[in-house]
Amino acid sequence: MTQAPAATQENPLLAGLRKRRQAEPCALTIFGASGDLTQRKLFPALYALAFRNLLPANFGVVGVARTAMSDDDFREKMRQAVAEHGRDEFRQDVWDELAEGIRYVSTDFADEGGEQHVVECLNSLDGERGTGGNRVYYLAVPPSAIEAIVVAMGQRRATGGWTRVIVEKPFGHDLESARHLNEVIRTYFDESEIFRIDHYLGKETVQNMLVLRFANGIFEPIWNRQFIDHVQITVAESLGIEGRAAFYEQAGAIRDIVQNHLLQLVALTAMEPPIDFSADSVRNEKVKVLKAMHTPGPKHVIRGQYGPGYIEGEEVPGYREEEGVAPDSMTETYVAAKLFVDNWRWADTPFYIRTGKRMPRRETTIAIEFKRAPHPPFELDSEDGLRPNVLLVHIQPDEGVSLAVGAKVPGQGMTIRTVHMDFLYGGTFRTGLPEAYERLILDCLLGDATLFTRADEVEEQWAIVDAMVAPWKRDRPSFPNYAAGSWGPAAAAELLARDGRAWRMH
Amino acid sequence: MADALTTIRDIDRELARLRDASGEPGAHPKLRTSVLTHMAWVPERWVEAATETLAGLAERHPSRTILLFPRPEDREDSLEAEVDLRCFLRGGIEREVCSEVISIRLRGRRAAAPASVVEPLLVPDLPVFLRWRGECPWGSPELEELVDVTDRLIVDSSEWPNPEQGYDRLAQLLGRAVVSDIAWARTEPWRRAVATLWPEIAEASSMRVAGPRVEALLLARWLGVRLGRELELEHEPAGEIELVDVDGHEATPARFDRPTASDLLSGQLEIFARDRIYEEAVRSFSSVAI
Repeated sequence: MTQAPAATQENPLLAGLRKRRQAEPCALTIFGASGDLTQRKLFPALYALAFRNLLPANFGVVGVARTAMSDDDFREKMRQAVAEHGRDEFRQDVWDELAEGIRYVSTDFADEGGEQHVVECLNSLDGERGTGGNRVYYLAVPPSAIEAIVVAMGQRRATGGWTRVIVEKPFGHDLESARHLNEVIRTYFDESEIFRIDHYLGKETVQNMLVLRFANGIFEPIWNRQFIDHVQITVAESLGIEGRAAFYEQAGAIRDIVQNHLLQLVALTAMEPPIDFSADSVRNEKVKVLKAMHTPGPKHVIRGQYGPGYIEGEEVPGYREEEGVAPDSMTETYVAAKLFVDNWRWADTPFYIRTGKRMPRRETTIAIEFKRAPHPPFELDSEDGLRPNVLLVHIQPDEGVSLAVGAKVPGQGMTIRTVHMDFLYGGTFRTGLPEAYERLILDCLLGDATLFTRADEVEEQWAIVDAMVAPWKRDRPSFPNYAAGSWGPAAAAELLARDGRAWRMH
Repeated sequence: MADALTTIRDIDRELARLRDASGEPGAHPKLRTSVLTHMAWVPERWVEAATETLAGLAERHPSRTILLFPRPEDREDSLEAEVDLRCFLRGGIEREVCSEVISIRLRGRRAAAPASVVEPLLVPDLPVFLRWRGECPWGSPELEELVDVTDRLIVDSSEWPNPEQGYDRLAQLLGRAVVSDIAWARTEPWRRAVATLWPEIAEASSMRVAGPRVEALLLARWLGVRLGRELELEHEPAGEIELVDVDGHEATPARFDRPTASDLLSGQLEIFARDRIYEEAVRSFSSVAI
């Protein structure tokens, strides 16, 4: 028998070496490079990846924006951003290596041939850095600017190598605009090349939801209408609009949070086990949940807007008093809704969702409230003595999972108290949690779209949101209807009270 | 200093007392979190190095750490223990998190039966790692006993006076113990770099290593086994690996930061599976057919 030549054999020296998630050489182009996102999130994420040797050796970044700036000015600005917002110590050697591949192009895509400067820069980067024609276009620009960039860059695809496009949220502002955007992008790029970001999916705890459900045998058997009374998902922010009036007046809470983050969390909570963790398997299951969600009636959707109040003891203005907000603005800063997923697993099990600005504290949680024990054989001292079990997934802050169980208070008699069994990420695992953008950028460089949103998913989300907001055109609630620092309008509490339930307060 | 604890019950009581006392008056005790039990067998001459390595480890691997200090030469047969809670604030959570460190001096004949001391102290249902400082006393009851209650034995063969002989004896233990070798871990960036030389080095016959002898030996045996060939090793002593050259092809590792002793041990505490490639390299030293 003749042995295969070494060149055709699998490399035997790689056996036993832990596989590294190492991306191929490529150039990342950030459109909107002078913006806040680039400085606060994208460059700190790139630095964190470089710090951990997770970027390819042949790598370059091209910042593109209208602001006039030299390469060196841009590098210096990004260096400061990394020093200020990075989660790791600032190391000059790591930065120098990253900075060597950084270029800046000042151009306006509204101008004829504006994109030519970007293409030239990328081509020269291929020669200087060996990026091999592989391109990632990161569209960190307002929705109105996306189309021009997609068309321009789509028409000038590199002849060799692969191309991927990352699109920041919001992806459209309703179903029609999202469909249009999908059509435009898919004219030039295949669905497998499109990475729609919802940064919530990059959070460790959100991914841990899948691990919790599908890597443990004890949860799935009771993860259904038989055992779960209802689900509450909260995305609460104590901040106001932080100078983003122009965006927020258009978007409101429903487009800013519900359309993407909240519906994604519902989908992850309710989805069936995927057959594997590939992009399409996971996304197929999420889409099934979104399709099964029936449109909530007007009585099941509550909106609110904050008035003046107190946050951490400090007096804060109402939404209408914020800079750039119309004094008669009808934009909602709070949304609560009761949703149903009409399938065999979840029929008649409500998913209560809520999001709001200027809530008493920042909190993103998924609370799975189980049905009460059917016949506890104890004489209880108080009604409060035996609460239902709650599995609480903390997404932020204090990432982790806790389970509320009834326990006997030591001593005479049978006093029962609810205690929390906590698993906190920060207290258990050694490494600081990676920022969502680190994970997502690296996944895109690797071509793994599992944690990105697919076209049909986005469209399903918009269809639900469009249906929720349709009745809003007909009524005019009395805004503001909740004080800053409170948990939202009274109608939101009534939404659950009608069902004999209450929002979790802590 | 508080009186030494002399029984397991004393240790348990003290742990409970420390936990209760860990919170502010009237507040909840601090969280105890464990992902493993980390045992370390630390003969006298390794105490300082072990203490240094341990510093900072608790934060990365919240665990119950059991430090065993054997003193077989003592005339008195006894155990003397101290218990400590190492608490630290972690980013993102409000409460402090605590790991438990139990230091036990095993005096006289107690040093020969350590498993009966540690078994009641192991955290149930979590993996047990045993870091053996210095050369293992191959075939001794203390090693045999502790290996039997351990999921993974961690050694550093660079601490052994005669590594070839040590690998020969270790090979005999591989059938019943899962082993990590910190010296092997130190070679990882270089193995990765050598792997990039494939297939040019498929027919290699020699390897030149400037670095510690143990790491040179491991690299040469690894490459020899993987290629199915005898390799001639040319070794130049150095404090850490500086050069690896296979038949004139120099291996260039990607940028990496030299790990500290804590980093290296920490890395081993994250591994659960057998390292078959290491085992093959170790068996290649063995004079006994396994």
